[in-house]
Amino acid sequence: MASETRARGQIVIQKIFRAISHPGDSRRLARAVVDYLSALLSDTDVLQDLDLILTEGCANVCRHAYAGEPGDLEVRLGVEPGQWVELEIVDWGKGFGPDVTFRNPGPEAEGGRGLYLMCRLSDSCRVSRQGQENVVFIHKDIGPTQWKS
Amino acid sequence: MEKLTLKRTGRSLLLKYVGEITLEITGDLKHRLDTELTDAAVRAVVVDLSGVSFMDSSGIGFLVSANTRMRSSGRSFYLYQLSPAVEKTLGLVQLLGFFAILKDECALAAVCG
Repeated sequence: MASETRARGQIVIQKIFRAISHPGDSRRLARAVVDYLSALLSDTDVLQDLDLILTEGCANVCRHAYAGEPGDLEVRLGVEPGQWVELEIVDWGKGFGPDVTFRNPGPEAEGGRGLYLMCRLSDSCRVSRQGQENVVFIHKDIGPTQWKS
Repeated sequence: MEKLTLKRTGRSLLLKYVGEITLEITGDLKHRLDTELTDAAVRAVVVDLSGVSFMDSSGIGFLVSANTRMRSSGRSFYLYQLSPAVEKTLGLVQLLGFFAILKDECALAAVCG
């Protein structure tokens, strides 16, 4: 599902990707979004950053949203070419709760680094509950030279 | 797991995985390593990361868990030949200084020789 809308005089690309939150399917969903973005972005480091952001977000849904069971997972992509990429990683599971943290845990912690990594690699990262939807929102500014012409 | 190679040399175990280390694979990796570590004769584990094209926080968790298990039982755990993707991910979470990293073949030979 893809569409284009105009905002602030620019073309904003919007596209939705869907999968079931099984580990393999979630990783393939992240790859599908990155493959789509690779047609727009030339900078491989930026694509790798987005790959890690998406993989962490989708893996969080696998681990936590549905108590380890498969459930619906959606990535809503927004792109203003030459400017930024925005991602919403959405599930309809139990949500983050009050203890959500974006901090890097201690070195001996075996987990809890997903949101920290997503924040490190983006310019804005937040989680929210919108009706039945749990949303991780990411905004990443991308310089004009990092796009395909 | 045809991408996984396990090689015993003396009292050392060299584990090499080629591909992506993500949530999809870390459970199997942990299981295979746990199976090898039931042999108390294994005194050191080296993980060769040269062929890892992508690693997420699940992979970090696998490495931290293995490191903790080995060191808490008086054994040694090393990383070897970090790929650029692995080095970047470990750097982002400030763990490059946490792990013992073998710098070159000489260092590897000293452990696995």
